[in-house]
Parts: sequence; structure tokens; C-alpha cells
Amino acid sequence: MNMKRRPKLRPAAWDGAVVGLVLALAVGCGVLLRGNGGSGEMAVVSINGEEVDRFSLAESAGKREYLANGYVLVVAVSSEGVRVAEAGCPTQDCVHTGVISRSGQSIVCLPGRFILRLAGGTERGNGPDVDAVIG
Amino acid sequence: MRTKKLTACGLLTAVALALSYLENFFPLALAIPIPGIKLGLANIVTVFALYAMGAGPAFLVLAARCLLGAVFAGNMNALLFSLLGGFSAMLVMTALSRLRGLSLYGVSIGGAAAHSCGQIAAALLTLGSTAPMYYLPVLLAVSLFTGSLTGLVSACLFRGLVHVDLWKG
Ligand SMILES: [Zn+2]
Repeated sequence: MNMKRRPKLRPAAWDGAVVGLVLALAVGCGVLLRGNGGSGEMAVVSINGEEVDRFSLAESAGKREYLANGYVLVVAVSSEGVRVAEAGCPTQDCVHTGVISRSGQSIVCLPGRFILRLAGGTERGNGPDVDAVIG
Repeated sequence: MRTKKLTACGLLTAVALALSYLENFFPLALAIPIPGIKLGLANIVTVFALYAMGAGPAFLVLAARCLLGAVFAGNMNALLFSLLGGFSAMLVMTALSRLRGLSLYGVSIGGAAAHSCGQIAAALLTLGSTAPMYYLPVLLAVSLFTGSLTGLVSACLFRGLVHVDLWKG
């Protein structure tokens, strides 16, 4: 077969360097971004990139409604965590995500540009959180 | 010669679309609940086109796959994900394929990792939130497997085609 470039078909030693680099990136990002991996105590809701709500899971058992780009999303808070119980969006990915409970996890509704993220209890509204740095 | 290459591009686009569809059945959402994020099996086609035909045709096949994929799925939200993922992978693999020390495996793994980063970037842009970054480490770990699979499949393809002269006649 005449090729533009002739590839090496067997794994080579330098491939290990690529694997190492990807692993280092994964671990590095993990350490930087995942925090303590503890239980998420605060829920932060954003629509279109704007924070619209922030509540403590312990104090907010029950249901809350949001309107995200024309779709109604019903968020249910229980002792297990938080989930999107109902959504008017066409894809229903947000509903299928199910319950989340750990700090850092999030539920995304792409059609609604809706995101609910869990943060640890120590994270404050205007504290040094990643959103403030990049977003 | 020209017609053959054009036909090959069309065929490769069809294969890439089939692979994109196939990966919907893989339950990636269990680990990474961000709609729009895919494994990137269609990168197999990018690797093949890159080596067999060069960067130009590989670029065309990729663009056609992203656009047609979004049209068929009727989901324009997903277009940015496949564009940023696909083109990041393509750029990194084009660069890595020039390094003589790397095999198809190293090139594919680098491409899969770039695909992950590109898709997370699409999620950041679409949602205007950094929350999706949380899933980057898991996605990068997954890309080690996807990249190895891509390397394996394309190595098998090139081994099988070693006696076939694609552009003759
Ligand atoms: Zn939804």
C-alpha cells in the first residue's frame, strides 16, 4: 500500500512517554480540580453561565423549579443527594444522570444550558473557587 | 486517481459516521454525565486518513463527519463538541505522526487525550461554567483505553492492507 506516511505498527518505547504524559495530566488535573472528594453540601445552579441559585442540601429537602431556556427543570433534594426529577428538555440526559452527592459532581442539561454543581461545605460564594478564576 | 481519492473520502466519512453512531451504545454517561461527550471511536478514521491520504483529506473527512453527524442527530448542541474534540485530536495526531519514535499507538493515545480536552473545552464554552473540568481526569484515563484501541484497530487495518495498492488503476 502506498501511503502518505509509513506508520510504525508495533508499540514503540517512546509511546510510553505519551502514556506517561497523559497520566501526569490526568493526575495533575485530578489533584488541582477534584478537591477533597468529600460530600457535596452546597448546590450551585447556573443557567447560561450565570449563577442563579445556591442552596445547602441539608436545609433544602424537597423540590425546586427552574426555567432554563424555555425548559422547566424540577430538582429534587433528599438525604441521598440531589437529582433532576423532571425536565421538559428533549434529550432527558439530565434526568438520566440520577442522584449526585459528592463535591465536584454535576448534572448538566445541554438544551437548557443548565448546570447544577455540588461544592464542599467550606466553599463560599465569592471564595477562591475555580469558577471565579476562569469563568 | 482523483475520483478514487474522492470516493475514498466519501467512504471514510460514512465509516466515521457509523462509528460515531455506534459509540452511543457505550454507557460513558455513567462515568461522565455531560451530554455531548463521546468516546471518540471515529478517530480511527482520522488516523487511517492521516497516514493513507495525508492531512488535507483527513481534514475534509473530519469536517464532513462533524457536520453530517450533527444534522443526522438533529442536535446542533453536539456540533461544538465533535468539532473541538475532532480537530484537537487531528492537530495533535498530525504533529505526533511526524515524530519518528512514536508508533500508531502513541499517536492514537495522544489524539484521544486531545479529543478529551477538546470536548471538555466545548462543555466549558457551551455551559459557561468550569464545572465540567471535574470530569477531565476520568475522561483522560478513559482516553488511554480508547487511544490504545484506536492504535490497535488502525495497525490491524494497515497490516491487512500492506499488499493492497489503494490508489492504483
Ligand atoms: Zn435536560
